[in-house]
Amino acid sequence: MERRNRHGSTDARRSDRRDPGASERHQANVREAIRTELASDGEGAEPATGAVVALDHVSLAFDRPILSDVSFAAERGDTLAIVGESGTGKSTILKLILRLLVPDGGRVMIEGKDITGLTFDEALEVRQHMGMVFQGAALFDSMSVFENVAYPLREHTDMSEEEIEERVREKLDFVDLDPDRVMWQMPAELSGGMRKRVGIARGMANNPRIMLYDEPTSGLDPLTTATITKLIMKVQRERNATSIVVSHDIRSVFHMASRVALLNEQHVTFLGTPEEMTASEDRYIQNFLGA
Amino acid sequence: MNSILALQEYFVLGWKALAFIFARPFYGQDAIQQMEEIGVKSLGIVLLTGLFTGMVLALQSAVQLKTFGATMYIGNLVSASMIRELGPVLAGLMVAGRVGSGIAAQLGSMRVTEQIDALNTLGTDPIKKLVTPRLVAALVMLPVLTVINDFVGIVGGNVIATTMEGLPASQYWHTVWVQIAADGFTLHYIPNDFIQGLSKPFVFGGIIAITGCFFGLNTTGGTEGVGQSTTKTVVRASILILITDYFITQLLLSVLTYGA
Repeated sequence: MERRNRHGSTDARRSDRRDPGASERHQANVREAIRTELASDGEGAEPATGAVVALDHVSLAFDRPILSDVSFAAERGDTLAIVGESGTGKSTILKLILRLLVPDGGRVMIEGKDITGLTFDEALEVRQHMGMVFQGAALFDSMSVFENVAYPLREHTDMSEEEIEERVREKLDFVDLDPDRVMWQMPAELSGGMRKRVGIARGMANNPRIMLYDEPTSGLDPLTTATITKLIMKVQRERNATSIVVSHDIRSVFHMASRVALLNEQHVTFLGTPEEMTASEDRYIQNFLGA
Repeated sequence: MNSILALQEYFVLGWKALAFIFARPFYGQDAIQQMEEIGVKSLGIVLLTGLFTGMVLALQSAVQLKTFGATMYIGNLVSASMIRELGPVLAGLMVAGRVGSGIAAQLGSMRVTEQIDALNTLGTDPIKKLVTPRLVAALVMLPVLTVINDFVGIVGGNVIATTMEGLPASQYWHTVWVQIAADGFTLHYIPNDFIQGLSKPFVFGGIIAITGCFFGLNTTGGTEGVGQSTTKTVVRASILILITDYFITQLLLSVLTYGA
C-alpha cells in the first residue's frame, strides 16, 4: 500500500514535470502533489507506513516572514535535502522539526503525530527519537569525546557503564574514528572533520529513527566533505533512518539525497529527485545549480 | 514593553530553576562542580577583600574614635559594619564580578556554538542542567563566603587595632562580641546581626546566578554578543545587589527587635 502510494505520487509529479510551465504554476503543482501525498498517507496512520517527517502548510515569521506555506514530507529511508541560498530559513526548518520552534501556522508531523501542540516535556520525549548533527558539531566542550557520545545514553537509558562504553565504541567505529585514540580527547583537540564525525556519532548514539543534519559539509575541505557525505549515506543505508539534510553544497546533496526541496523566498519552489531537478528548465533552479 | 517582558522572563527563569531543585533527574555532580567553581575558587579574592576592608575600617574608625578617647570601641564598629553590611555586599559584588561574568561567558558561548540547542535536542532541559546547579551552588556558597569574609575582616581589624592603637586582642574580641550581643537576639540565641548578615548573601547568590544565566542564555550575535552579555551581567547584578541590600535592610530592621 505504502509503496503504491509513493509511486503514485512520484508518477504524478513526474507528469507535472513534463509540462515546463511557469514557475508559479509549477509551484502550485508541487504543492498539489504534496497535498495528495499527505492525504494518501493519512494522518495518525501507523508510523511505519506514513510520512515520517512532514511539514503541512507551515508558516513562521519573526521580525520578517521566514517561511510561508511550506509543505513537504519524507518517508522511511528517505534522504530529503533542503537546499537554498543562505538566509532562506533552511536551518529554521530543522528547528521546527525538533520543536525548538513552534510555527505560527500549519502543522509539523513526526511519525504521524502533530508535534506543534506538545508541552515542553512531551517535546523532549519526541526529540529522543531524533538525532541532530549541528553545523559546528556543537560538542559539549567541557566533556570528553566519550562523554559527549555517551550523553544521550546516560540521560535517557538505564544502560550499564559497560553497555555504554560498548555503544560509544561501536558508534565511533561507525564514523571511522579509532575509539582508543579519540575517546578521552577533548573536543578542542580535534580537527573540524573529526569533530563533525563525533557529532554524527553522538547524534546516532540513541539509534534514532530520524537523523537531521545542518550544513554537514560546510567549512570542510573537499576530501573531508566526500568522507562526511559517504558517512551520511552509510547512516541512511545501514540504519534505514529518515534523514533531513540542510545544505547549500549542491554537489554533495546530489550524491546523497533521494529527494531535494528548494527553498526560495519563504516557499518550497521545487520538490523532486535530483535528476528531476537537473532536468528542470526553471531559470532560478538552473541558476542555482550553475552557481 | 520589551524590558517588562525581559523582567518577566528573568523571574520565570529564576522560578523554574528553583522548582527544578526538587525535580528528577538531579544533576548533583554538576552542582558540586559549580560549588567548587563559585565557592572554592572565589576564596582568594574574598579573603583579600575581607582582610583589607577590615583593616581600613579599623584605621578610619581609630581616627574618629581617638578624638573622643574611645579607641577601645574599634571592635564594635568593625564587627557591626562587617557582619551587617560590608561582608555580604562586598562578597556579593566580588563574586558578581568573578562568577557572574564567568557564568554569562560560559552559557553565552554555549548558546552561540549551538550547545544549548544540542542539549535541548538530546532531550535535556538546559535550565535544569545548567541553571539549577549554578543557582544551588551560589545559594549555598555565597553565605559561606560571606562568613569567611566577615571573619577575615574582623581579624584584619584586630591586626590594626593591636599594632597601631595598642589595643589588646582580648579587649578587641570582647568588644566585637559585645556589639553582636547589643544588637539583640531572635529566639534568644540567634544574633540579629547574623540573621541580617546571612539572609543577604543568600539573596545575592540567587541574583548572581540567575542574572549570569539569564544574559548567558539570551546571548545573540556571536562572540561579540558573549562580551556584551558578560558586561551586562556584572553591571546589572552589582546594581541589583546594592538595591536589594537596601530593601532587605529596611525590612529586617523593622522586623527584628534591635537593641533588645
